[in-house]
Amino acid sequence: MVNSNADALGIIFPNTYDSLVPQLTNERLMASIPFAGRYRMIDFILSSMVNCGIDNIAVIVRENYHSLMDHLGAGREWDLTRKNGGLTIFPPYSQKNLKVYTGRVEALGSIIPFLKSQKEKYVILSDANIAVNFDFKAMIDAHVASGADVTIAYTKEEIPESARKSDLGGDLYFTLKLDGNRVNELYINSRESGIQNFSMNIYVIDRELLIRQTEYAFVHGYTFFERDMLAPYLDKLNVQGFCYEGYAARISNINSYFDENMKLIDDDNREALFGSNPIYTKIRDDNPTRYIGDAKAKDVLVADGCVIEGEVERSVLFRGVRIGKGAKVRDCVLMQDTVIEDGACVEYAITDKDVTVSAGKELKGADSFPVYVAKGKTV
Amino acid sequence: MAKEMIAMLLAGGQGSRLYALTQKLAKPAVPFGGKYRIIDFPLSNCVNSGIDTVGILTQYQPMVLNEYIGNGQPWDLDRLYGGVHVLPPYQQASGSDWYKGTANAIYQNIPFIERYNPQYVIILSGDQICKQDYSDFLRFHKEKGAEFSVAVMEVPWDEASRFGLMVTDETDRITEFQEKPKNPKSNLASMGIYIFNWDILKKYLIEDEADPNSENDFGNNIIPNLLKDGRKMYAYHFSGYWKDVGTISSLWEANMEVLDPEHSGINLFDENWKIYSRNSGMTGHKICASATVENSMITDGCQIMGDVKHSILFAGVTVEKGAKVEDAVVMGGSVIKAGAVVEHCIIAENVVIGENAVVGAMPADGQKGVATVGSGVTIGAGAKIGPDAMISKNVEGGEERW
Repeated sequence: MVNSNADALGIIFPNTYDSLVPQLTNERLMASIPFAGRYRMIDFILSSMVNCGIDNIAVIVRENYHSLMDHLGAGREWDLTRKNGGLTIFPPYSQKNLKVYTGRVEALGSIIPFLKSQKEKYVILSDANIAVNFDFKAMIDAHVASGADVTIAYTKEEIPESARKSDLGGDLYFTLKLDGNRVNELYINSRESGIQNFSMNIYVIDRELLIRQTEYAFVHGYTFFERDMLAPYLDKLNVQGFCYEGYAARISNINSYFDENMKLIDDDNREALFGSNPIYTKIRDDNPTRYIGDAKAKDVLVADGCVIEGEVERSVLFRGVRIGKGAKVRDCVLMQDTVIEDGACVEYAITDKDVTVSAGKELKGADSFPVYVAKGKTV
Repeated sequence: MAKEMIAMLLAGGQGSRLYALTQKLAKPAVPFGGKYRIIDFPLSNCVNSGIDTVGILTQYQPMVLNEYIGNGQPWDLDRLYGGVHVLPPYQQASGSDWYKGTANAIYQNIPFIERYNPQYVIILSGDQICKQDYSDFLRFHKEKGAEFSVAVMEVPWDEASRFGLMVTDETDRITEFQEKPKNPKSNLASMGIYIFNWDILKKYLIEDEADPNSENDFGNNIIPNLLKDGRKMYAYHFSGYWKDVGTISSLWEANMEVLDPEHSGINLFDENWKIYSRNSGMTGHKICASATVENSMITDGCQIMGDVKHSILFAGVTVEKGAKVEDAVVMGGSVIKAGAVVEHCIIAENVVIGENAVVGAMPADGQKGVATVGSGVTIGAGAKIGPDAMISKNVEGGEERW
């Protein structure tokens, strides 16, 4: 191996935290939520891995994964159409006794034969709820340097209110108590407030160890990787924290989805997220965006393929959005192929894919409560 | 397994009249319409018409073109059998030759065509902006029982003498060919797009090659020879958008027409006839609060802080605060610095226009020049570039060029 390649295998769990944004995951999963004008959430972790020389990546899907399969295809846009490694998507494996898994252990358990047949020394586990241009190389280096069994990436930030208060069902979130970099305690669904070491659920772990732990947990009927495989073993395993200080956009509910999109209109934020390495996504072959007639645009982030004839301000427009004559759009996130017809007025709204707001109609949310219009609906 | 029809795309043109734009790349690789290159049009036409085998004949400055075509994946031309192949001139046991003419370029690649054993070969030109269904052209060719067909456009009679003209009878059969005649007998201009029966084409290519006096050119040699022999030759009328972008002003004009597809330009928004291209992969473009954008086309990765009016901006263009861009074509990665004024001009890729510099001017007093700045050039702060200038080297701050 030349040293541009990492000796690590990537595993992505695209369904984690689906329950935080039930509206957006009604017909898709966390990983395929459209984000930042032309991307899907998974593009960020996937591109980060590829940019760090990780070219063997497994995606273990659980449910609602048609949109993700469509998006990923054979992985060509991420340069993952490889003879060795590349992108592998694992759909739920229906056996007589195996239900669709709820936790990571079952998911990993279902791919143990795959894990055993790989040759990379390390495995990186990640969810897809954070848009981040992550330096996996630095994290693997830290993992190797510290001699850790497991390294957990975390950010120092407040836990979003929504995550603390909502009923998360199967989706847990984790905070770390650190002694130096060593993780002493792993708190699950902590009720504490203020700045904390908030786990990004990105792990580096030795592949052999992961297989051993998974097999052990699997036969004992455990479900959750963190709760059942990590938390009880913090005294036996060397578990290290890896503080990530770069830009991270974490989707924890519909409001944060809205806010994180809007934040990217800001040049500094956009530079922080996209500046270091390219983020790849599925190509749509849209033409450039046209501004026609009396179109007015201020403070907007617009993808290709839009046709704008009305006014738009402080908004994020995904690919193929159309804004008709005399229409007014303010503080909105309009997903791909949204049509705002002539004279319509939309404020503080999130429109999902293929939404139409009919001519002359008004649709207004508030800054603390953006209205959401579901995929394909007509207002 | 034989293919019914394969395409041979002539892409060796230097495009000498585009001088500043074609210093480092062949004319078919010249950017167009915000995110395309000229060659995207014939390639997309091929794919949309169901042609999956395309030979691209390159000669002049092929590096950018080769890299751009790659394995043909953006056009869905990465095929197991067929697909896109770049065909530069090559050395043979008997010696080596550049492509001496359009016919010679095809002649040298007879073995390539033979591999696919096609019934028909369509010859395309890599320097036109056109949306055309070649399968309809083939249908016409077959219906007429033709051995050779040429796509023609009706042009105004007073301009006819600038073109190669096909004189036809009432069945569209070609009776005479006039190359840029003083007294045109027809206003049907050849678009330089031909369908041949492969056996006929091969025969005439071999005969033409054996003729030491031939220029090995389709228009000057092959077509006259076919006529002389009374071959079944037909003219296929094409009425859609077609533009030869051989000059700076026609290239500028074709770009400006894109802004008005309802009336004049090529419609790039046609979902049923997509034009494919290699994408920049940049994130969406940003229109800042200080910007105004009017009647323009903006591509991914642009950052607009100044005023943009009736212009086409390619991927990754920056227009700083207070800069003014009007009636301009600004290609990928160029930066228009604060206070600069860029009007009625073509700015090539990765150009820097310094602060308060002035490039081009809106037409006045019969003055219609399109200023052109070649790729990678830096125009210094406060410099002034006249409306007829063609700049291919850096211009120092404060200097003037006319």
